Amino acid sequence: MSKQPGLVNISLSKTIESVLNTAIRLDEEQGQAFKGLEDKVIKVTLTPVTSPVYFLFTSYMVSVQNQLTGEPDAALECTLFDFMSLPLNRTLPTSLMEGDTDLAMQFIDGLCGLDIDWEEHLSHYTGDLVAFKIGHGIRSFFEQKQTTKNNLGETVKEYLQFEINALPTQSQVKRFVQQVQQTQDEIDQLALRIEALLTKT
Amino acid sequence: MSQNKPTIDFGFAEVPLEEKVKKVKGVFDSVSSNYDIMNDVMSMGVHRLWKRHTIELSGIRPGNVVLDLAGGTGDLTKEFAKRVGKTGRVVLADINESMVRVGRDRLINAGIAGNVEYTITNAEALAFPDNTFDVCTIAFGLRNVTNKDKALEELYRVLKPGGQLMILEFSKVTQPLLAKFYDFYSFNILPKMGKLIANDEDSYQYLAESIRMHPDQETLKQMMLDAGFDKVEYLNMSEGIVALHRGWKY
Repeated sequence: MSKQPGLVNISLSKTIESVLNTAIRLDEEQGQAFKGLEDKVIKVTLTPVTSPVYFLFTSYMVSVQNQLTGEPDAALECTLFDFMSLPLNRTLPTSLMEGDTDLAMQFIDGLCGLDIDWEEHLSHYTGDLVAFKIGHGIRSFFEQKQTTKNNLGETVKEYLQFEINALPTQSQVKRFVQQVQQTQDEIDQLALRIEALLTKT
Repeated sequence: MSQNKPTIDFGFAEVPLEEKVKKVKGVFDSVSSNYDIMNDVMSMGVHRLWKRHTIELSGIRPGNVVLDLAGGTGDLTKEFAKRVGKTGRVVLADINESMVRVGRDRLINAGIAGNVEYTITNAEALAFPDNTFDVCTIAFGLRNVTNKDKALEELYRVLKPGGQLMILEFSKVTQPLLAKFYDFYSFNILPKMGKLIANDEDSYQYLAESIRMHPDQETLKQMMLDAGFDKVEYLNMSEGIVALHRGWKY
């Protein structure tokens, strides 16, 4: 017997389809970003959900299903969390991309451009309070992640520049570049003068 | 001489072979306007999940050509049309004109047009060339067909090699306790609901009876193999209230 998609997978594909189509309908450009994907199929493996979902793009917008006859045009793999965080993250870290990578990139760019309100859709199943708490948790996580990234960068920079003097500061680099440029100009002038003197003699 | 005339089941009754088509037409003429509402009420909305499951398993893709036989009010056609896109085609076929009319209006109202064709056809004599379709479906329709073996042979003929036939149909409940409740529901509650909602008790009595007369999972599987299908499998849904049979032509 071939592998049958379970109720969870079917519900997941149905939810993703409904969320994406709602977002495309509300989008200023009405999903123009997906125009190049018409009649194409993108396979997305959302870990830890084991079976892949297939995105079918037609003039009727997006359909999502769990099985496909034949091969998809492009395939990519990412975590379900990354996929759902697209509206906040504006990027999709993929661990695997196969087939027509241009199509896969177009798919990711299209998704990044959509304003997907997962919280609103989640609230239909969990109620407003739970959906808000989950959404708030995810938003806080990304804010915290960004803050940590910025702070870490600043701290490392300051340590390398001022504590152990391993790296120059920005103004020092700027001054150095100016000095190099000035030296280059003087050499050029000198070269022209020598050339002129040689021509005279 | 009349005693020797071949007969066939029409629900629990036996009718002359040539009468069944007319009688089934009568039933569906009668229920067509309320068909969708009744489906929702009768199955408590679960028929949408059964159909969704069928669509999922079809593995359909843009460019495919699909036959939705006994397509009725177009539930499956609507989803297939979205998936096959401009390069594909879906044919909604039904023996009953009033059902096709309801289906056509409904799909046009939903903005589905351009890649859907509507045709009135008998499942036992499909008006399509050999090897035409990538996927054929018949959802809740086979039990109303007079000569099921002939219909299965026809479906095999019009499928492309590699194509898949999907039969979604009421079947035999596998859970004994549920079976008792289901019988009570089918013969006592369902016809009353038919009377209340569609003002048509007899038609819904027939629907319940025809479900019991339909071949069970294993019998239908064997019928499909006998019709020529190279591989057949089935999936019970809701403890066998409905079964999805899938047959492939290689």
